Amino acid sequence: MGVISFVLLLGGLVFYAGGSVGIIRFPDVYSRLHPAGKLDTMGLFMTMSGMALYVLSDWSISALLTALKIMLIVVFIFITSPTATHAMADAGMRAGLVHWSRK
Amino acid sequence: MKRFAFIGVLLFGAVLLYSSFSFPPLGDPHAPANRHVSDDYIRDGMKETAVPNLVTAVLADYRGYDTMFEATVILAAGIACFFLLRRYRRKPAQHRLYRHIDTGVILIIEQGGKEPVDSKEFERIDYHWVPFDLVVNKAAGLMVPFLQLFALYVIFHGHHSPGGGFQGGVIFGATVILLAISRDLRSTTRLFPERTSAFLSSAGLFIYAGTGFACLLLGSNLLDYSALARLLAVDPVMARSHGILLVEIGVGMAVSAIMIWIYYNLASAGRYDEGL
Repeated sequence: MGVISFVLLLGGLVFYAGGSVGIIRFPDVYSRLHPAGKLDTMGLFMTMSGMALYVLSDWSISALLTALKIMLIVVFIFITSPTATHAMADAGMRAGLVHWSRK
Repeated sequence: MKRFAFIGVLLFGAVLLYSSFSFPPLGDPHAPANRHVSDDYIRDGMKETAVPNLVTAVLADYRGYDTMFEATVILAAGIACFFLLRRYRRKPAQHRLYRHIDTGVILIIEQGGKEPVDSKEFERIDYHWVPFDLVVNKAAGLMVPFLQLFALYVIFHGHHSPGGGFQGGVIFGATVILLAISRDLRSTTRLFPERTSAFLSSAGLFIYAGTGFACLLLGSNLLDYSALARLLAVDPVMARSHGILLVEIGVGMAVSAIMIWIYYNLASAGRYDEGL
């Protein structure tokens, strides 16, 4: 169980690292939103499930409750993060921000 | 008038700065705060108040007088915003925008034109045209009940975990502000009118001060909740715990209502018709 949670945490960190590099390196708002969304969904899902498994490694009812709460964080972020990304992209389009393109 | 206010502010600031020199230096072992007070709180806090979270015990019980006036300061800020910004006179009529809900067609009604009745078919939208966004609208509506439940949890679980009236109140206020941002100000003021926010903000502070004065009437010191033991039919230690809860509820009500009130005034420049 410990090994699986370690691997999950490490995988999540890889996604976080990629997302952070992407936010800095991508050329404009729309393309930067793309790694930001990735970071919130896959990175968060993997780190949180890693933590939930770690909590569950010594089994008890309260540990199960904690693990469920950790997974609830994932559920709520899955609702709000794409909404925020959508709202930002929408606002950019409506404000007339032209997307980046190779000349 | 403005010049006098400026001079007053300068003088008051000078007095505050002058008095700050007589504070004991930071980390002084002979300062009053370091001599015995902290040790007493840590040693006896749980025994005297039955509240595991020491921060809550100090905030709402040992230093309850201080916290009462912190809540008063917030109320004063809300009332100041109200007096500075609220305008009852209507804006000179300009054209209004209505959206046909089914098709999304926007009607611009010029001044003096016949306006559609606000029914199931048309809805009025803001002058600074806020686009109708189904995703944001539904997601905000989905999150708000959970957020409000969490706010209540933060208020009522302040005895055992980080939290309390101020934090929970701010979360609760933020949920209503989220509704106002994701929809519009008019529909939010229908759900949570200005009158309600004004009433709740003063009622919350009244609960706090009333708890304190109830202790006074029962023959003890102001805000010494152990005097409530007879009223609540518990022993004095639990009475202090329950007294803290009462006070936290009052603070939560006041803070959430004032957050919303200030937002209404700032977002619509005191007109309560259009805004974010």
